[in-house]
Amino acid sequence: MKETKLGDFEEVLLLLVGILDKEAYAFKIAEEFESQTERPVSIGAVHSTLNRLSEKGFLKSEMGSATAERGGRRKRIYTITASGEKALQDSRDFKMSLWSQYPSFAGNLKFGL
Amino acid sequence: MVWQSVCVKCKSKELTDCHVAKFHYVHFAPRNDVSRKMKNSKDHITPPRLAEKLLLWFLKDELAEEVLGDLDEKFYSTVEKHSTRKAKRNYWFQVFNYLRPFALRSSKVRNLTSTLMIGHFLKISWRTLLRNKVFSSIKIVGFAIGIAACILIFLFIQSETSHDKHYTHQDQIYRIANQYSNSGDFGRWTNIQGPFKPILEDYIPEIELVARTVFWKWADVGENHIRRSDSKSNIYENGFFYSDPELLEILEIPMVYGDPKTALTKPYSLVISRSKADKFFPGENPVGKQVILNDNTEDPYTIGGVMEDLPNTTHLQGDFIMTLVDRKFGPGTTGWCCSNYTFYIKTIPGADKQHIEEKLVSIRDTYVMDKLRESGVTDLDEIQAYQSYYLQPIRNVYMNPEEIGDYQKHGSIELIWTFGGIAIIVLILACLNFINLSTAKSIKRAKEVGLRKVVGSFRTNLIRQFLVESIFYSTLSVFIGLLIANLSLPYFNQLAEKTLTIPWLSYWFIPSLIIGAILIGFISGIYPALYLSKFRPIEVLKGRSSSKAKTSFIRNGMVIFQFTATVVLIISSLVLQKQFSHYMNQSLGYEKDQVINILGLGSMAEPERDILKEEILRLSNVESATLGDYLPVSGGRITNAGYWIDGRKELDPGFEAATWLVDEDYMKTMEIEIALGRNFTDQTSDGEGIIINESMLQRLNLENPIGARLIDMFDAKFTIIGVVKDFYFESLAETVRPLAMRRGKGSTTLSVKLSTENLDQSISGITKVWSDLKPNQPIRYTFMDERFKQMYNSLLRAKTLFIVFSVLSITVACLGLFALSAYTIEQRGKEVSVRKVLGASVSKIFVLLATDFIKLILISIVIAIPIGWYLMDGLLQEMQNTISLSWPIFTIAAIIAFGIALLTVSSESIKAALVNPAEKLRSE
Repeated sequence: MKETKLGDFEEVLLLLVGILDKEAYAFKIAEEFESQTERPVSIGAVHSTLNRLSEKGFLKSEMGSATAERGGRRKRIYTITASGEKALQDSRDFKMSLWSQYPSFAGNLKFGL
Repeated sequence: MVWQSVCVKCKSKELTDCHVAKFHYVHFAPRNDVSRKMKNSKDHITPPRLAEKLLLWFLKDELAEEVLGDLDEKFYSTVEKHSTRKAKRNYWFQVFNYLRPFALRSSKVRNLTSTLMIGHFLKISWRTLLRNKVFSSIKIVGFAIGIAACILIFLFIQSETSHDKHYTHQDQIYRIANQYSNSGDFGRWTNIQGPFKPILEDYIPEIELVARTVFWKWADVGENHIRRSDSKSNIYENGFFYSDPELLEILEIPMVYGDPKTALTKPYSLVISRSKADKFFPGENPVGKQVILNDNTEDPYTIGGVMEDLPNTTHLQGDFIMTLVDRKFGPGTTGWCCSNYTFYIKTIPGADKQHIEEKLVSIRDTYVMDKLRESGVTDLDEIQAYQSYYLQPIRNVYMNPEEIGDYQKHGSIELIWTFGGIAIIVLILACLNFINLSTAKSIKRAKEVGLRKVVGSFRTNLIRQFLVESIFYSTLSVFIGLLIANLSLPYFNQLAEKTLTIPWLSYWFIPSLIIGAILIGFISGIYPALYLSKFRPIEVLKGRSSSKAKTSFIRNGMVIFQFTATVVLIISSLVLQKQFSHYMNQSLGYEKDQVINILGLGSMAEPERDILKEEILRLSNVESATLGDYLPVSGGRITNAGYWIDGRKELDPGFEAATWLVDEDYMKTMEIEIALGRNFTDQTSDGEGIIINESMLQRLNLENPIGARLIDMFDAKFTIIGVVKDFYFESLAETVRPLAMRRGKGSTTLSVKLSTENLDQSISGITKVWSDLKPNQPIRYTFMDERFKQMYNSLLRAKTLFIVFSVLSITVACLGLFALSAYTIEQRGKEVSVRKVLGASVSKIFVLLATDFIKLILISIVIAIPIGWYLMDGLLQEMQNTISLSWPIFTIAAIIAFGIALLTVSSESIKAALVNPAEKLRSE
């Protein structure tokens, strides 16, 4: 049975896919990851994880348009599926419930929800 | 935006035209990209090609487009933000980061792991080998023996089939043979009349060179005593033959000294081999020097040239070539009467063989028939109707598939088949052993297999593992086999009468051994690999193997096959042994055990020979002596002549009979029994008398032979004065041919019959007489029974061969049986102990354990006997005077096989039966 839990890196990538929307392809995601987290990452690692997320059913993908920068090659655009959204929600809810139990912050933090 | 795009793989410009477009998602070259140029001035900067190639090599095809695109984008953004160098470095980094399982081509994934695993497989193989030392050594040694046998036999076959293939004008050299073909009657032979030579030269332009040769025992052909003209002591040498000068050119014989065109053109010139030149004329150029044959000082030979020693791989063997040019008498001078020569020819390039053959016949009809008639040949009509000519390509002469009658030593295609068959059988036995032992041990490996599967090994990986293991074993075996072959080569050479060497340095030898090792390893490993890898992890880890009955069936089948082959070989050896001793002890019709042949009298004058005979007869132990060159054993002279009853020459076809010249003491010395009539009286009378044997009498079909008149092919007339009982004067494997004996005296051989068993004393007496008479030539003699044995050399060789290979095959089969029994008995160790505890006796347990194997051996014997009978019956059918196949032979073979098998099995069985049950059961 396939693992449906999200790892940390997976969760970040999933969120980035959501953020980048129509521009969510491996190179852009990797760039975005590097600029947001200031951690270096290889495109291969990103691609591998995107592939895994697709296998889990959290992402779907299709070939997009070609651009000159890519030597006329098309890119694979990823979009989050419903179960991907659900997994993100679950992950956030779970963390929220953990935060709510965290003593020093309990009741003090507002998340603007 | 216009894309000028080219598919990298097939150079197609149209995406739809690209035959691989579906998979190789078009790799558009950015270099030609117009819009790219406009946007980016650094158009010459491209990602590193090599990295790209590497990526495309391992990357799944369907990912190629997007990945290359991403990496390009990354590359150009890095170029703009940083530097080209950094961009390139980063590109490489990105490429290596795509070495991830999801992105790799599936074939690459497999190969990668298995390559990595080979080291591990080899390590496991080595450990398995060490863990079961007895088993492993049996496996490897059995294999090695098989391989050694194969290597030797391969070398033998290779040398046999590579004769006469070294000429530069290979396709232009032929030997001429006569061909007789008359409704079912078919024969070919080489002998041709001498005067044919000028006719061929004059009338057939396609023939460039013609050489007549004489190889049969005529005049000085064969063995002689030779000395330098300035020396007195005669030295015995072998390998003399006559030839025309052209032979050196036709057979491209390389010369050390002298010109091949002229070396034999002068009368009484001689070409000798390099090794003989070194022997007689060490360190000098012997051309122009004289040698004397058989003390014949009137006609000394002058050395016209020195040739390189004739290689082992030509049919032509000899060290002395005597010229046929301008001789006074004998070889080279005979006319149309007699077919005395073997013709070699060299044609012009591209000449058609069949065309020449046809021309030969038409030339015979136009030019030769008259000459034949003049010389008194009677069967001209028959010649015209049925006789033609055949050109035998030089490469066929040694193996002689056309079965042309001649005087050369030939290879035997039967021997090659037998050898090859035996090699394959021994190899199969060894392979079966390997398979057998590997599957027998399967229970021990079963846990390993189970565990490997549990931790994720695929069946293909396991198959690969076991194949690697078996190739490892076979490589080791090939190495050891090579060692064994190398050590046993001298003995093999002796047996096969060859001078084989292992061609270590040949370009094909080592590679073909390696390929052989891999192939044999693969073949013998594939079954165990498939079998072992099939185990279900749960079952084997629980300790149960489900398919036991089936495997033991296959294993038993293999044991039966091995022992069947072994028993057949034993039967063959026994039959050949018995046939051989049958020949040796056959009553031949003459005495051979007490007779000594003194040889080399050719260098004496006739009166000297008579003196020698008289002096020897005076010795006390000598019963009788005869001067005769014709002997009923190998090495004697052979002459044949056609005979008719006088007055019927024109009417009857006539027949050929061996014709001997003997003196009045011949019958007495050889103890040949006279059935009718009388012996020759003395050398002065009976000039027309002839004594025939019974089989000739039968051919003549005469009621009252004594006094009957015969006429021979030269119109000489004879009166029959006696008939002798048939005796075997040729091989016992043939029927006794007609034989006619005329009065005469031999010139080279004196046969002496001794009346005593005390050989030493008689021989020293004879030697003294000889050395008084002929001090410059050491005496040379042979025992007639030894020369008799030489006639059966080929049978003796076949016999020895079968015995050797029977022993080999028994060894291999027994190794297998031993290991198998050891294994089975080990498996049943606990059962045996329990039985013993419950009171079974040692003998009961022994019977219990041995019965399974004994059954198998009995089955093999039952299968082997008809096969052996069939094969041996076929062999014996081809020979005359054979033993009959009787039950004792088969019984003995069965007992031998059974006994050896029982011994093999019983050592382990008894060991198991004697073991203290407490030892085995303690651990439970």
